[in-house]
Amino acid sequence: MSKPNMQFSKIRLSRRSFLKASAASAGWLMLPGLGMHPSWAQDTRVLRVRDYGDPQSLDPGIASNLYEEHVNAAVHNKLIAYKPGTKWEWQLEAAQSIEQLDPTHIKFVLKPGITFTNGFGEMTAEDVKFSYERIIDPELKSPIKGDWATLASVDVTDRYSGIIVLSKPFQPLWMTTLPYMGGNIVSKKAVEAAGGKFAAMPSCFSGPYVIKEREPKQRTVLARNPEWKGAPAAFDEIHIFPIDDEKTAEMGFEAGDLDYTRVSMSSYKNLKKKPPKNSVVEKYPSLYYVWLGMNMEHPKLSDERVRRAVQYAVDIPSILEAAYDGVADPATGYVPPGLVGHRPDTLVPFKADFAKAKALLAEAGYPDGIDLDLEVRNKAVYIAAGQVIQAVAAQAGIRMTLNLHDSGSFWSLGDESKGDRWKKLQLVLNRFSSAPDPHYAAQWFTKEQVGVWNWERFKNPEYNQLYEQALAEADKDKRDQMYRRMQELMEASGAYRFITHEAVPVIYTDRIIPALRPDGMPLLRYFTTA
Amino acid sequence: MLFYLLKRVGLAVVIVVVAVVLLYSMIHVVPGDPASVILGPRATPEMKQELHKLMGLDRPFVVQVVSFLGKVARGDLGMDFFSQRPVAEIVFKQLDETLVLVLASITWAMLLGIPLGCYSAVFRNTFSDKLVGVFSIGVIAVPSFVVALYSLLFFAVTLQWLPAIGAGESGQLLDQARHLILPAFAIGLGWVGYIARLVRASMLEVLNENHIRRARAFGLPETTIVFHYALKLAILPTVTLLGTGIGRLISSAVFAEIVFARPGIGKLIFDSVVSRNYPLVMGAVVVSTVLFVLSTTISDSINAMLDPRVRERL
Repeated sequence: MSKPNMQFSKIRLSRRSFLKASAASAGWLMLPGLGMHPSWAQDTRVLRVRDYGDPQSLDPGIASNLYEEHVNAAVHNKLIAYKPGTKWEWQLEAAQSIEQLDPTHIKFVLKPGITFTNGFGEMTAEDVKFSYERIIDPELKSPIKGDWATLASVDVTDRYSGIIVLSKPFQPLWMTTLPYMGGNIVSKKAVEAAGGKFAAMPSCFSGPYVIKEREPKQRTVLARNPEWKGAPAAFDEIHIFPIDDEKTAEMGFEAGDLDYTRVSMSSYKNLKKKPPKNSVVEKYPSLYYVWLGMNMEHPKLSDERVRRAVQYAVDIPSILEAAYDGVADPATGYVPPGLVGHRPDTLVPFKADFAKAKALLAEAGYPDGIDLDLEVRNKAVYIAAGQVIQAVAAQAGIRMTLNLHDSGSFWSLGDESKGDRWKKLQLVLNRFSSAPDPHYAAQWFTKEQVGVWNWERFKNPEYNQLYEQALAEADKDKRDQMYRRMQELMEASGAYRFITHEAVPVIYTDRIIPALRPDGMPLLRYFTTA
Repeated sequence: MLFYLLKRVGLAVVIVVVAVVLLYSMIHVVPGDPASVILGPRATPEMKQELHKLMGLDRPFVVQVVSFLGKVARGDLGMDFFSQRPVAEIVFKQLDETLVLVLASITWAMLLGIPLGCYSAVFRNTFSDKLVGVFSIGVIAVPSFVVALYSLLFFAVTLQWLPAIGAGESGQLLDQARHLILPAFAIGLGWVGYIARLVRASMLEVLNENHIRRARAFGLPETTIVFHYALKLAILPTVTLLGTGIGRLISSAVFAEIVFARPGIGKLIFDSVVSRNYPLVMGAVVVSTVLFVLSTTISDSINAMLDPRVRERL
């Protein structure tokens, strides 16, 4: 070892002094006295929640994402709203009363005294008329126009009452239109003053909270509405953080930065077994549905026997165990348990039957098996599910190539307007969101949706006929049978292998009492302190 | 020097134009429809068509590129039609956050890396030098997202000393500083190693040069020789490294921004690419490209100012 090129005595910088200085700097950085108080020492009147996206548009007429609705539902009012709990029910919100006079007429009476902030006055039946009719106005190009597709008009009877007139009966109105995105009531005066629609920020609110601050990509802050005359809001402020990644949100919760968040299915079991201090972990059934779809018009899959072979070669329990950590239950269709139209069972058993799959393939002229492409979104859970499908199906002689796509690429795979990619589409692992009425999920599989969202290109006249009938059917049992039959037709076509509805595990601090929909989605205005 | 600067700026403009055209082409070659992603399953074909028109995607590709470059030249990055806000406003708001993060990361990395490098050079081949060497290589080898995750687990989740998510309350500097510590630590740690190794190597070279030996012969104190004479020259490669490293820093910032749920230009680009929000992607890419080219130009100019031989090479 050569000697250092200087003597300690000649310089002021010694090893000891250097190390001392470094240690002191590090200690200084970590000193609690520097304002680094524990993160949980926050004002309990501030509720901090995570949502999976950042609201883009907060005009209820043009907002179409759930995370936008979470904000809108807290700052606006609807005639009726979802009731927090484990059963899908609605309760009165801005309406004092509401009743179906006949299949196409709904009478409502508003509660008097609900005011819009910033001097836009009291909410009247004119505002209800304006809010709903603007959604079907072609000028607005509202993405939720379909929710009000059968609206003919809203006739104002007096200051507080009116009649919603439908062009034809529409049963989903009570569960997917009035209490959901399409039900928010805005001030006619305020929207007109804003030029027909709110830009980034609405100019007035009527709910228990108002939007105090918007920091895009960072957070949305809601504050108590001083003009609100209903049951007082429980929190001074609600901070909503847009965090796409569930793992990040979990760590944020464990660090004490969040009071409520959805967590990943892979973390659920561990969190349930050993929850962080002062927290509650719960699991809710989800409305999402995941399925393996097959393009019926692709030459390799045009033979029903091949499609059925694929159905039999997919082992649902393995997918649920490997990709969903055993937390999610198998699906029998697009309608989850607890809703009208849920099927108790499937035609093809959940467990794979390789012998049957091989026999069907041989019958279809593929005794040596078949090569197929499976398109999957590049998210961990879908990749894992895709890999299980690939590995298990190989045992039946179905050799799959997994193609991963980011969201942008994935969502145009079967879209005819985006060129010829749909022609090459063979198998696709798909997942759609839904609403608490079977109509919402059923609409994507009609003949008219072929090449739009119906990527399997499933065309069945009976399905279309039942779909139309079910929209108008008021008898719950009859509707139930209709939607069951529709899902049965889909499965019988061989183009669908329903996998799961997933699950929504959530975690929250025991300092709050969350108000959640039966699918675990937050109804922020009803959150309270414990 | 003026001629050098003019040439360097001219080159920078060409680089920006080429980079923007290339990136614009690449983004449009990737399959995917922004309308489907943004509007979701509720979108009708008419709505998608309308959206394409609004975004200018119905025009020929060349027209789109030329029109975009023209707008950029006028300082207009367009509108994010969905949030109805100017792209420039969104990008610069996010850029602030990223610049603060990058600056904080590189500052602490320099504050620790430069003394470590000097120390290693001065005490070369001693046990401490080897220890610093192992530490430097170690931290260079660990990806910043791993540091981010483990520091988050340890300091935020286990000890709960520091916040895990967000950028802090706006207007509250102390709170923002607390939110900055972990991400800056994660990004800067690797740079401590880089800088320490680089400073050590160049310092060793400089310490053996004639003017340093002459300074010693004059009996100047060793600290004056190291920090006053040697470091001035030994720091040059670090300046260059920092100039070219801005791109790497921004890409490290993406991970930190995702892990710590911080706003920033890296995350903005990532989210916008995923949602095919072309106006935002291009706005953010143009700004970060300009930033990268600008920092390289500045570091080259500083080099040229300090070392006249560099001017001859362009």
